[in-house]
Amino acid sequence: MLSRIANSLLWMGRYLERAQHTARYVNVHYFSALDAPNLSKKEYVLDSISCMTGLSYEYDEEILNLEDQNLIYKITLDETNPVSIKSFINNARENARGARDILSSELWESINKFYHSANAYQGKTLTEEEILSFTEMVVHQCAIVNGYIDHSLLHNETWSLIQLGIHTEAAGQLTRMLIAKVRDIEKTEQLKLGKAMETYQCIAMLKSAEGFDMSRVHYKSVPNLKKALEFLILNKDFPRSIIFNLEAVNDCLQKISLVKGEEKGSVEFFAGKLQASYSYLTIEEIQDQILPFLEKTLDDLYKLGSLVDQKIS
Amino acid sequence: MKDSIQLTGNQIFSSYQVEKNLYDEVFDQTGKVKKYYQKVLSLFNKLTLQDLKKLNEFARASFFNQGVTFAVYSDNMKGVERIFPFDLFPRIIPLKEWENLEKGIIQRNRAINMFLYDIYHDRKVLKDKIVPSELIFSSNYYLKEMIGFTPPGKVYTHISGTDLIKHKDGEYYVLEDNLRCPSGVSYVLSNREAMKRTLSKVFSSYNIKPVHDYPEQLLSMIQSVAPEGVDNPTCVVLTPGMYNSAYYEHSFLAQSMGIQLVEGRDLYVDKNFVYMKTLHGSKRVDVIYRRVDDDFIDPLCFRPDSVLGVPGLMGCYREGNVTIINAPGTGAVDDKAVYTYIPEIIKYYLSEEPILKNVHTYRCELEDDLKYVMENMEELVVKPVDESGGYGIFMGHKSTAAQRKDFQDRIKNNPRKYIAQPIMSLSVHSTFIEESEFFEPRHIDLRSFCLMGKGKDFVLKGGLSRVALKKGSLIVNSSQGGGSKDTWVLEG
Repeated sequence: MLSRIANSLLWMGRYLERAQHTARYVNVHYFSALDAPNLSKKEYVLDSISCMTGLSYEYDEEILNLEDQNLIYKITLDETNPVSIKSFINNARENARGARDILSSELWESINKFYHSANAYQGKTLTEEEILSFTEMVVHQCAIVNGYIDHSLLHNETWSLIQLGIHTEAAGQLTRMLIAKVRDIEKTEQLKLGKAMETYQCIAMLKSAEGFDMSRVHYKSVPNLKKALEFLILNKDFPRSIIFNLEAVNDCLQKISLVKGEEKGSVEFFAGKLQASYSYLTIEEIQDQILPFLEKTLDDLYKLGSLVDQKIS
Repeated sequence: MKDSIQLTGNQIFSSYQVEKNLYDEVFDQTGKVKKYYQKVLSLFNKLTLQDLKKLNEFARASFFNQGVTFAVYSDNMKGVERIFPFDLFPRIIPLKEWENLEKGIIQRNRAINMFLYDIYHDRKVLKDKIVPSELIFSSNYYLKEMIGFTPPGKVYTHISGTDLIKHKDGEYYVLEDNLRCPSGVSYVLSNREAMKRTLSKVFSSYNIKPVHDYPEQLLSMIQSVAPEGVDNPTCVVLTPGMYNSAYYEHSFLAQSMGIQLVEGRDLYVDKNFVYMKTLHGSKRVDVIYRRVDDDFIDPLCFRPDSVLGVPGLMGCYREGNVTIINAPGTGAVDDKAVYTYIPEIIKYYLSEEPILKNVHTYRCELEDDLKYVMENMEELVVKPVDESGGYGIFMGHKSTAAQRKDFQDRIKNNPRKYIAQPIMSLSVHSTFIEESEFFEPRHIDLRSFCLMGKGKDFVLKGGLSRVALKKGSLIVNSSQGGGSKDTWVLEG
C-alpha cells in the first residue's frame, strides 16, 4: 500500500471518530442541561462543551464574547473553525476520497452521503431542534460508516489502518471528555449543589460515551463517580473505554507491522508498554489524583499519535 | 410549407418540434418515430410528468451519492461539485450503422499510429510532401525527446476518444481525434448503471451491447504493452490528485481495474527505474496510465515547476524500463490543423479510402483558405488549433460585427493558430428539459473510446453521447453546460 494512502486511511478513521465524539458530547450536554438539578447554569454547559472540543474561553477573547447560539454554531457547522464537527466530516471525506480506489463502493457512498447530509445544514444559527437533529444525524451516520468499514472491507491492512485511526482517536477523545467532566465536577462542587449534581454529571459522562445503560447492567446500580471512572477507563469489555481502545491499537499495529518484535522507541514498543501499564491498574490507585492522571494519559496518547504518523509516512 | 412539424400525443412531447433543416435522431421528417426508437417512446408516452420528474430525481440522487461529480472552480474554498447532467432518453445506434463507425474509428487510429511512428523516425510522410513539415515541427506538442524512440508494439495512442457528429445529411463526421488520454468513459459506465436502475423495463425489451467490459479490456491493453520481459507487470493510474476535475474518473478506473491510483509524489526514479513508496518499502512500477499532460509528467524534461510528475520519468521510458500510456508527443497529431490531413494520411499508410468523413476545413495559413475565411466569417466556425474544452471558439452565425472584426484581426496576426469549418448542424435528439418540463430537441455528438495495444484493437460499443442542453447551442462540453445520454448499440 502507498504510504500516502495509509496516511489517508488513518486520518479518515481519526476524523470520523472525532466528529462522532464531539457530536455526542454536544448532544448530551446541551440537552441534559435543560432539566439539570438546581439550574445547571447554561454557561457551565457551554463552557464544558468548548473545553472538550478544544475551544477555550481562557485564551480566546472572541470565544468568550460569543453568544450561546454563535458558540454552538462555531462548534458544529462553522467550516472556518478547524475543530468544528463540519470540518471533521469534510476532512474525513477528503481522506476517503484520496483513498477511494481501495475502499468498497458501499463504504465510500456511505461517507459521501454523510457529507452531503451535513451540507444540508446551511444556516448561520441553529434552532434547538436543529442542534438535536444535526448531532443525532452525525452519530447515526458514523455508526453506518463504521458498519461498512467492518463489513464491506477485507480485514487486512486497509481495515487495520482505519481501525488504528479510530481507536487512537477514541482513546484520546474519551480522555478529553473525562478531563472536561472532572473539571465540571470540581467547579460544581464549589457551588455546593450536593449529591444530585454529582449523579447528574456522572450520567452525562457515561452518556457521552454511550455507556450509561451498560454501566448500570455491569454494576447493577446507577454508578457513582468512582464506578463511572472505573468503567470508562478500565473496563476491558466496554468498547469505548481507554483500556479497550489501547488493546485495539496494539492489535492493529501487530497486523500492520511486518517486523516482529518491538524495538525500543518504536510505536509498537510504546503502545505495548502503555497498554501493559493500564492492564494492571486499579481505580483506587488513581482516583485521588484523577486529573493529573488523565492529563498524563492525554500526553501519552499524543505521543502515540505522532509515533503512528512517523511510522506511516 | 412549414419549417417544422408539431408532434401530437402525450403532453410531455406536446411542444416537440421536428425541425425540417436538422437531422432528428428519433423522428423522421414527417414526425414519425423511427423504428428502433418505438419501444422507448411508447414507454415515455405512458409516463406522466410526475413519473418522469421522479425518475429524473432518482437518477440524479444516485449520481450524487456515488460521488459521480466533477468540480467547478469557484471562490468557495471547497469548490462546487456538480453532477454531469444525465438525460433519461437514451440514444440508440442500430448495429449496421455502428459497425461502420467502429471500422472507421479503428482505421483512423491505425493510420494515426503509423503517422506518429513516422514523424518520430524516418519522416517519409513529410519527405513525400503529404503533410507539410512546418505543420509538425511548429507544433508545441511535437517532442524532440520522442525522436528515434519506439514504444512497445509501436503503439502511441493506446486510448483515443474520436468525437463524431451526424450532419443534416445523415452522415457521421469526425470532429476531433482526442489523442491525449481523453476523459468521459466513466460516465458511459455510470450512465448505463443509472439507466438500468431507473428504466429497467424498457432496457429488458431491447437487446443492447454491453459496456461493462471496458475496465477489463483497458487492463488487458495496458498489460499488453508492458516493458519487454516483465511477466506480471505492476500497472498504475497516475492522477494529478483529487482536486482535478476528472478525479472521479481516475479513481473509478483504478478501482474497476483493481490497480493502484498514484500521484506524482508517490513515485520516484532510481537508476532509471520507477518505484512507488509503500508502507513496506518500494515497489517497481512497469506501466503508467497517466492522466497528467505531457508538459507535467517529468519536471527534468518538461515544465520544471511541475509537482504533478516524476523527475526522471522520461529517462526510464526511453530506456524501455517503464511504459507511459498514451505515449508522450501524440499531441502533435491531435491538432486541429493536422486533423485536416487525416484523410490523406489514411490513404498514404493504409492505401484505403477513409471510412469516416472529415469536416471540410480551411487552414488559415494557406493563402486561398485565409481569403475565403476572411470573406465568409458569418458562415464559419473558427477554432484555435491547440485549445480544448470548447474554449476560444468563434461562431460566425451568432457573431456581431465587432466580434467578427476582432477575430479577423486575431487570425491575421497568427494564421497558423486558426482553422475554420462550415457550421455543421449537429443532429438533434429528444431530451428532457427541466425548465420547460417537456421533451425538446437538443444537439448531440458522440465521443467514442478506442483502445490499441500490442496486437489488439477495441472500440467501446456505444460511447458518450453528449448533449448541449441550451436551446440551439452546438457546444456539448460539460464545462460549458453540456449533459450526456446513455448510448445503446443494438445487437443484430
